[in-house]
Amino acid sequence: MARYGMALDYKNCINCKACEVACKEENGVELGAEKHRIWVGGNNPEGQWPFLDIASAAFMPSQCQHCEDAPCQEVCPTNATYYDENHVVRVDSDKCILCSYCMNACPYDARYVDDRTMTVDKCTFCSDTRLARGETTTACQNTCPTKVRTFGDLDDPNSEISELLRTREHFSLKSHLGTNPKLFYLT
Amino acid sequence: MQVEVSRRKFLQGSISLSIVGASAISATNLFANNDEDSGGGNSSIPKTITTKTGTGKADEVPILCGMCVNKCAAFARVEDGIITKLNPNPYFPKSRNMLCPRGNAGIQTTYDPDRLKYPMIRIGKRGDGKYKRVSWEEAYDAIVNGTDKFKGLKQILDEEKDNRATIGYCNGEGLSKEGFEVLVGQKIGTPNYVDEVSICLETAGGGFFSTIGTYPEIDFEHADYLVIAGANRAEAIITPDTLDMFKYTKGRGLKTICIDPRFTNTAAKSDKWLPINPGTDLAFVLALTWVVFNENLQNEEFMKKHGVGYEEYKQHILSHKYTPEWAEPICGIKAKDIYTIAREFMNAENPIYYPGRRSVLSPNDYQLRRAMAIFQALSGNMDKKGGYIFGNRGLLPAEYVKQPIYENTKERFDTEGIAFPTLKSGSWIVFRNMILEGKNPYPVRAMLMRKHNPMMSVPNTAKTRAFLEKMDLNVVIDILPTDTAMLADVILPEASYLERMSPVKSYGFLEPAVVMRKAAIKPLYETKTPEVIFKELGEKLSKPLFEVSKKHDKALQELIKEKGEKVAFEEGGYNLAEPFEKPIEEKNEEIITEVFGKKAWEIIDEKGVYYPHIEEYHKQLSPNDFQYYPKSKRKYTSRGDSLKVICKNDSLASGGIDVMPTWHDEWKFSVPKGEFRLITGRHAQFTQSGTQNNMMLRDLIPTNFVWINQRVADKMGIKFADRVEIKSEVGAIRLKAYPTEKIAPNQIFLLHGFGSESKGMEFAYGNGGNDATIIKDDIEPMYGAAVMHSTNCKIRKV
Amino acid sequence: MKVGPLNIPIKEDFSLKSILDFEKTPLNIFLAVSVLTMLAMFAIGVITYLIHGHHAYGVTREHPWGLLIAVYIFFVVSSTGFCIVGSLGDVFGFKRFEMISKRAIFGSIVTIMAGFAVIAFEIGHPVRMMIYNVLTPGLTSAIWWMGTLYGLYLTFMIVEFYFLLNDDMKRAKIFGLTGLLVGLAAHSNLGGVFGFLNARTISNGVYYPTYFILTAFITGIYLSFIVMGFRYKLNFDDKVKDLLEGLAKIQGLLIAILFFFMTWKLLTDMYGGMPNRADVAHHMLHTAPFWAEVIFAMLIPFLVILKDFGKSPKLMFFASLIGMVGIFFMRYNLVHDTQVKPLQMMKLTEYQLPPEWVEYFPSATEIMISLGGLGLCILLYYVGTKAFNLDATH
Repeated sequence: MARYGMALDYKNCINCKACEVACKEENGVELGAEKHRIWVGGNNPEGQWPFLDIASAAFMPSQCQHCEDAPCQEVCPTNATYYDENHVVRVDSDKCILCSYCMNACPYDARYVDDRTMTVDKCTFCSDTRLARGETTTACQNTCPTKVRTFGDLDDPNSEISELLRTREHFSLKSHLGTNPKLFYLT
Repeated sequence: MQVEVSRRKFLQGSISLSIVGASAISATNLFANNDEDSGGGNSSIPKTITTKTGTGKADEVPILCGMCVNKCAAFARVEDGIITKLNPNPYFPKSRNMLCPRGNAGIQTTYDPDRLKYPMIRIGKRGDGKYKRVSWEEAYDAIVNGTDKFKGLKQILDEEKDNRATIGYCNGEGLSKEGFEVLVGQKIGTPNYVDEVSICLETAGGGFFSTIGTYPEIDFEHADYLVIAGANRAEAIITPDTLDMFKYTKGRGLKTICIDPRFTNTAAKSDKWLPINPGTDLAFVLALTWVVFNENLQNEEFMKKHGVGYEEYKQHILSHKYTPEWAEPICGIKAKDIYTIAREFMNAENPIYYPGRRSVLSPNDYQLRRAMAIFQALSGNMDKKGGYIFGNRGLLPAEYVKQPIYENTKERFDTEGIAFPTLKSGSWIVFRNMILEGKNPYPVRAMLMRKHNPMMSVPNTAKTRAFLEKMDLNVVIDILPTDTAMLADVILPEASYLERMSPVKSYGFLEPAVVMRKAAIKPLYETKTPEVIFKELGEKLSKPLFEVSKKHDKALQELIKEKGEKVAFEEGGYNLAEPFEKPIEEKNEEIITEVFGKKAWEIIDEKGVYYPHIEEYHKQLSPNDFQYYPKSKRKYTSRGDSLKVICKNDSLASGGIDVMPTWHDEWKFSVPKGEFRLITGRHAQFTQSGTQNNMMLRDLIPTNFVWINQRVADKMGIKFADRVEIKSEVGAIRLKAYPTEKIAPNQIFLLHGFGSESKGMEFAYGNGGNDATIIKDDIEPMYGAAVMHSTNCKIRKV
Repeated sequence: MKVGPLNIPIKEDFSLKSILDFEKTPLNIFLAVSVLTMLAMFAIGVITYLIHGHHAYGVTREHPWGLLIAVYIFFVVSSTGFCIVGSLGDVFGFKRFEMISKRAIFGSIVTIMAGFAVIAFEIGHPVRMMIYNVLTPGLTSAIWWMGTLYGLYLTFMIVEFYFLLNDDMKRAKIFGLTGLLVGLAAHSNLGGVFGFLNARTISNGVYYPTYFILTAFITGIYLSFIVMGFRYKLNFDDKVKDLLEGLAKIQGLLIAILFFFMTWKLLTDMYGGMPNRADVAHHMLHTAPFWAEVIFAMLIPFLVILKDFGKSPKLMFFASLIGMVGIFFMRYNLVHDTQVKPLQMMKLTEYQLPPEWVEYFPSATEIMISLGGLGLCILLYYVGTKAFNLDATH
């Protein structure tokens, strides 16, 4: 029983996308550019050559925010989307009817359709792979070249992530929607 | 509904989807095999493209990544004989518990449906893709004796009277490269070797080495100011530099100035980005140096102690008036920025002018490297904490090979236009071009090529094709049917890096370690590991080639007369397989046990990494951080008083090379109106042509686009993904356009390694444009290395 | 009249032959061929879907709801509309409208069945849905309520229709009222499916649940004109004229209210330039389907009604046909515009354009299944007219 979250030291991110590939290989995610559980976003820098705005060209790794109040869970007609015992937002593919309501309701575009099961798939924090084997990192954290990510138990005051959130300023994405995300971006 | 897409179907499906109405490429040649082909040995091919890792029993096999040159350590998770995941290895200081996107996608290289699966010999015309599947015996026999379509080595050597130099060979970077060099260079005995060095970083290595004695490592942890010019560490990943650097950028201790014509991901992580005119970095460094001397900002004490020709260099810089105002129009960088950078650099505690290993981009690259090294030395931040690190030597001794002497073998000849030809790896361009132009003093009639794809890596593909077509015999050892393989007479399929143990390798520098790649699975299909191929090929060639020598080599004839044939064969080193007789597994254990003891072997066998005191030193500090060596055990300073900074190198004069870095106006950047300068570079998700058929990576970079300035594209009516033709004086390619403000109006950029013409690679075939087709085969004067940024192109919408 | 199973009164001459027996006018033959073509398309579309799954559709990660959702809404709104119109006479006792009640209630049954037929091929696992809707109901889900209530609604409608056929007006009224209430609840929940989307600022709020009821009524009246137009071959007697004039006047009022609704929705959307709302509203204004909705569903019929306050039933028949085309665009726009603004605005690969507006165009399969739904609807209705006496009998 834990309350898992992830802190992202996103200024470290170089947009190499190692996390995306590690995620796909670890979790057997389908190939295809649209089929991703996690991603790194970037922007075209503002301005014209040679006056380009470096600040506008930041990279933002993202994925399911594992909201405490997840819109995707609320809208699911069959409760296929549920919070597991570690507060991870999961999909029970046996119950998913693929109405796609959750895909529309998720404010983060974190869900997609797995064509093999014809159900909605998303980030699981590696719950059924790495965590199930007793490992303590997700595939994306483990592989990251510049060590952007720290995954851990928010309820454990001794965890690295708790320490980071106590000592570093951070923000969450679209928190005004009342979703209470458990992904924290360190500034 | 359960839809399980097989690898082959996935490829075909996506191809037929992308070209609506077109039928998938017909599988009539041998390269396109079906999924039903089972793997060899006990291994099998996974049924799905990605395999979810299980929670049951699994082997964690230490491997070394083979997706690029870095050799990062990893563990392969193997479940039921299938590699389900590659995880970073936390024991190796160089790769710091990480795997990049390519490293993670390595599984797809091994399980690539287009892999070369069994030996093949050509039965059609060269290039038409008609091959016959044969046994290894038959393939070796074809190399020795030829077929009705091509001549074998025995006949060629006999006709050339045992001039072994008639055989050329090439090899790409990798852990088994040395073995191939031993087999072909030392045992078969030809000097005509070319490899990636002369189309890559030759002057970077040479320039630094000849100025400060080594190509240094950087201690980013303690550095506080960084000028990173012409290097893109966010995308051209080098371990550990990339891993260290970006933890401190963006106002977190390492002020970073990025100098690059393009706005790269490195620029995006910098404090300041200054787009420089391609090929003018030397003027920039000279102007920085001028500011330092003019304002007396240098560490005079350090330079007096270590500089060679230091005063003359100072005079040289000042008297040439390499002022920022002089450099501004050349580089396109404002004088005031140059002043600021020079002053900030010298005032910083631990400034770094990043050495930036990469391909040779301009003809002055050797001098640029010299100027960079000297500029760094001016700060005194060298051979110490926070600076350039010279570090330790590797931990392993060199190996001895019994090398036969072939009396009739001629010397290499690829020296035209080169001041200081390198004996070992020569110059690809000069070697090729002299043969094409008939300037070779003796015929070169065979090319043995391993893990190297000159059709896509050496500038001017048309010439490379003509060169290979000239050969009587082309042998390719590789894992994929590359463009080069399609010109081969004999193709030998090699095991990919996950299917083989490789010779142990040691890394020096700040935190030295020995690493070892074990085989995660047995070789698939009928592939063999390189060392086994070398051994078997050596065995097959030994006697027939010895017979040729016996016929033509007078010294050998006398030796036989004196000692008898058997002794002459053995002692003369004519048993070509001899260095490979001991299996690599035994050899590795023997070396490690001999140097470090039995316990070390147990550790490296389990962890893939060993260094003295690893058990004591190695600690996990946090979920993300490991200690490899305690700081007190890291050798920040190793040269001490013996460090020399060669400002003036008189020996260069004999080759007509400037003894001190000097600017020549012929290097000024200019592009005729209506044309564009072609520049190349890297993305983190792609390693040149070697990853072009990787199904995972193509999701991230589906094809190579050509960058063109947004406003210029608007004027030309070119929109995103429009097809354009890029034409230089040596060739033309077609690919999609990517209008962006991240590039200057008179330049274009495209990613290297796309545009394969080999139908054997289903995805890579015809995808994007091959830059080698359009890059001119210019060389720089020092070593004859290929210059990549000298080509102007026209562009038009098609 | 003969009596079928369960005491259902069925027309004397109802047989397969009677179904094939119709006046062979060019228009009728054209309609018959069209319906058969649409049914064939339905079959092809469904087979394609069964083979390729959602790959056969134009839907994407960013635009998971496509044409079939729009067509489903189109049909269920039609059903609710028929139900409201049918209730005017039966439930609320407006005598003038009683003569259309049976026909309208039958219409509400066939339209919702067509809607279910279409949505069955949009929902990935319809059978699983029925199981887990019961086993693990998602009570916070508007889709759960909408689906469940529509199921109930259909049952009530069938029962009401049964009593109507048997002229049991008292029971018909009870089931009619219950059905209407359940239908309205179901229908406003369908609006809630969109209204609850916090992340989709353009749709979030009270607008859609109420607007759905209003537009359902409007749709019901258009459909009434159409079914009555076919029933009487545009030769309306006075009684029918009286009915249609009444409906037209109500329609005039409803369209006026809709104009009012839409204007204020758009103004509040755009006012102040709120992100994800104002930009989407501006974007909508620049798309053809939006204007198709306004002109076809609202403007043209409204002008026809204004011309002589609903006294031209023939013209209204044609205006209603145009109106239904507009209503289709209304549903399509609702679905598309909800999803048109990407939730993830960054580039995920170097070689792409920055996300701007989500593009969607229905695939051939989606179009075939949608037309198939229409064909099914018309066929069921036609069979109904052959089997049952849908005219008022008292």
